[in-house]
Amino acid sequence: MKIKKMKKQDKQTYKVVRPPHLYIDFEKNELMLKTFILMSIIAVASVIVMGLGAFIHIITALGVVLLVHSVIHSYQKLKGIDFTYETPASPLVAGLIVGLSMPIAAPYEITALVAFLMILVFKYGQGKFLKRKYLNPAAASKSFLLVLLSVMVFLEDSLATGLLFHPHHLGLNLLTAEGFNNSMWIFAGKIIPFLGIELSAGQGLIFWQTHGWIGGASGITVLIIGSIAAYWLRYKWRIIVSGLVTMTLLSLGIGLIIGPDPFVRIAFHVFTGSFIFMIFFMATEPQSTPMPEISQYIFGISVAVLTFVFQLFNVLGGSIFALMILNVITPWLDKPIIRTPFGHKKTNGGA
Amino acid sequence: MLLKKKKDYKFKENGRFNVDISIKMAALKDPFSVVPPADEMIVFLRQHIGTEAEMLVNVGDSVKYGQKIGEIPKGILGAPIHSPVNGKIIELSKKFHPVSGEKETAVTIETMNEEQEPFFEPLNPDEEPSEVLLERVRESGIVGLGGASFPTHIKLSPSQKISHLIINAKESDPNIACDCRLMIEKPRAIISGINIMAKILDVKDITVATRTQEGETPEFEALLKEHNIKLERMPPNYSIGSEKLLVKEILGKEIPSGKFPTDVGILVHNVATAYAVDDAIENGNPLISRGLTYYSTDLGGKNLWVRMGTPVEHVLNFLGESPSKFNRIVLGSILMGSTIANPSYPILKATSAVTGFTDKESDPYRNPLPCIRCGYCNTVCPVYIYPQLIMEAEKKNDVDRLRKLHVEDCIECGLCSYVCPSRIRFTRYLTNGKNLVKNQEF
Repeated sequence: MKIKKMKKQDKQTYKVVRPPHLYIDFEKNELMLKTFILMSIIAVASVIVMGLGAFIHIITALGVVLLVHSVIHSYQKLKGIDFTYETPASPLVAGLIVGLSMPIAAPYEITALVAFLMILVFKYGQGKFLKRKYLNPAAASKSFLLVLLSVMVFLEDSLATGLLFHPHHLGLNLLTAEGFNNSMWIFAGKIIPFLGIELSAGQGLIFWQTHGWIGGASGITVLIIGSIAAYWLRYKWRIIVSGLVTMTLLSLGIGLIIGPDPFVRIAFHVFTGSFIFMIFFMATEPQSTPMPEISQYIFGISVAVLTFVFQLFNVLGGSIFALMILNVITPWLDKPIIRTPFGHKKTNGGA
Repeated sequence: MLLKKKKDYKFKENGRFNVDISIKMAALKDPFSVVPPADEMIVFLRQHIGTEAEMLVNVGDSVKYGQKIGEIPKGILGAPIHSPVNGKIIELSKKFHPVSGEKETAVTIETMNEEQEPFFEPLNPDEEPSEVLLERVRESGIVGLGGASFPTHIKLSPSQKISHLIINAKESDPNIACDCRLMIEKPRAIISGINIMAKILDVKDITVATRTQEGETPEFEALLKEHNIKLERMPPNYSIGSEKLLVKEILGKEIPSGKFPTDVGILVHNVATAYAVDDAIENGNPLISRGLTYYSTDLGGKNLWVRMGTPVEHVLNFLGESPSKFNRIVLGSILMGSTIANPSYPILKATSAVTGFTDKESDPYRNPLPCIRCGYCNTVCPVYIYPQLIMEAEKKNDVDRLRKLHVEDCIECGLCSYVCPSRIRFTRYLTNGKNLVKNQEF
C-alpha cells in the first residue's frame, strides 16, 4: 500500500518543548535573597554586640563584592554573554558571609582583600573555569589570604596580620582544665548594655561575644536564625545536625574527662563563631558539599571533629581548614554511598 | 498568569509533593461538553504501547463509525484502531506522531456525518463468559487511559493469578480533572466496567483509589459501597498516582525494580479505562472517544468529550480559541507531556488533557542557571534516586555510574525539575540516561 509523504503537518508552528511545563517558581535568586535577609538579622545582632567595627567589616565586604559583581555583570551585558548571576543576591550572600566570618580584630583592608579574592577568583572564577565550586568561596579566599600573610615573614608581625596563629593564642593550652579556664577570661565579665547583666564566660560565649568571628557575636542568634533558615529554605540540614551533635558530644566528653565545666566546654567549642556560623552558613554551601544523605552526615561529623582538633591546638582558622578539607573530598563523598531506590529493598523482594 | 503559583517548598521528603493544582480545581466543576468531529479526522495507527496497527483500508474506502481500520495480529503487543466517524479515507500518509515525535502512519478520514450507531452488538456482562468479554475488550481497541496506553486486553490476561484489582482514580496530574468528572457523570458505567474487569480476572478484592474528598462524588461512592468495592482516599500529593507508588500506598507492597504489579498479583487500571470497558461491552462502542481536560488562561478549565483523531485546532475552534494565540500547546500532563509542533496534531487515545500557553506564560525553564547542587531534586524524588547526580553522569556519558544510580527506575514525574531553583529540566537528562543504559544493554 502506497503511503504519501508528509504534507500539511510539515509546517511547524510551535517550538517543541519537553516536559515539565509547570514550575514552583522558587528560584535561586529568591533562595539567595531570603538567605541574605535571614543572615542580615545575624549581622545586626553582631553589630549590636561588637559595635561599629563589625559594621565596617560587613559593609566593606558587601561593598567590594557588589562593586566587582557590577563590573562583571556590566561586561557580560556589554558582550551579550549569559549572566553568571542574574541579580546581585548570590554575590551579596557571599559578601555577607565574608564579613561575618572575619575576626573583629582583623584589619579592614584584609576584609576587603578577602572579599575581592572571594568574588573574583573563588566565586566567579571557580564557576567559569571548573564549572562548579569545589571550594567554599569565602573559606577558600580567607584561608588563602591568611596563610599567605602569615608566611610573609618580611611583614611586621605577620602572624598577627594573618591571624592564623595569633601570637597571643599560641600561649593558650586548651588541653588541660587549668589552661582552658585561663583562656576563658576574654569571654567572661561582659555586661549587656542597658540591662546591666554581667555574664560568665559560658554565658558570654552563647549570648554576647566581643571576641572572634563577627558572625558569632551572638551564638544563640545564629542557632535560632540558622535553624529557621535551614528548615525554611531546605539547607543540607544533615550536615548541620551531625556537625552540631558531634561537636556537642566531643565538648561534653572532653569536659567530663579533662574538665573544666562541660557547659563552658560546650559553650566554647559549639558557640564560638568559627564553628556555629560556619556549620550553618558555610558548611551548607550547596555546591561544595555532598549530595547523598549518608555522605552529608559524614561531612558534618568530620568537619566537627577536625574543627574540634584544630580548636584544641589553637589554629585560628581551624574550622575553615576543616571545611576546605571536606570540600576537597566531596566529589569522592558523592560517589559510593547512595540510598536504596524504590523497588531495590531486599526485604521487599527488590532486585 | 496562567497558573496561580503556590509556593509550597516546605515539602515532605521523597514524593508526596503538593504541586500547584489550580488548573485541576478550575476544571473540576465543568461538565463534559461533546466536541463534534472535524471535517477531516487524522487517525494514527499507533495510539498504544507496542507496534503500529496493520492498515485495513485504502484511499477512497468508505468507513463506518467504529469500523476497524487498523488491526494488530494476535500475540503482538498493540490494540486495533477504529474509525471515529462515518466517512471516506482521503489520505494515508506519514505524519509526525504527537508522542513519539517520529513520522508514523496516519489515516485521514473525511467526515460524512456525525452519527454514532454502535458498531458492535451490545453484550450482557452477567451472561457472557469471561473469554467473550475479553475478546470484546481486545476488538474494541481499549488501552489504559491514564496516559500509558498499554493494551487493556493484555493487561486483563496476565500470566499470574491476580489477587487484587486497584482502580486508579487518583488523578495526580495537576491539570487533569476529567477522571473526576467521569466519576460524577458516569458512576454506574464505571462500576459496571470495574465489575466486568473483576469478572475477567476472577478477582474479589477491589480497591478504588481516589484523590476526591467526601461529598465530591456522592453517587459514585454510594455505588462503590453497594457493590462492596473498597474506597481508599489518597493524599492529594503529586506522583502517588504512578502505578507502583499507588500499590505501595494502598497495599504497602514495593514492586521490585524491573517488575510490574502483576508480578506480585496486583493489577492497576485507570478509572476511565473501566468506563471504556463498560462502553464496549454494554453499548458496543469501540474506544474512539474519551474525556479530556482543556485549560487556557482566557477560558479556564473545560472538560470535553472528544473523538480520537480530532485535530487540536478543531478542539480550539470549538472552544472559540485561536491556535495562533498560543506559543506552546501541551498534550497530556503538564508535568510529563511534551508540547506539539503543530495544532493540526490529533487527539490520541492517551490524550487526557490539552493545555495552551500564550506568550505571556513563557516557558519557566527557558533560561536554566548552573546547578547549585542544593539537593531539592533528590529530596522530592518519589523513587529515591538522585536526579542531580544522574545529570552529572549523563553529561559525562558515564553509563556505569548511571547504572549505579539506578536511572532506569525514574518514573519521569518531573518533580525534580518542578522544584529546581536553577530551573533545570532534569527530565531530559533522566530520559537520555535511561536510553544510554538501555542501549548498552542491547
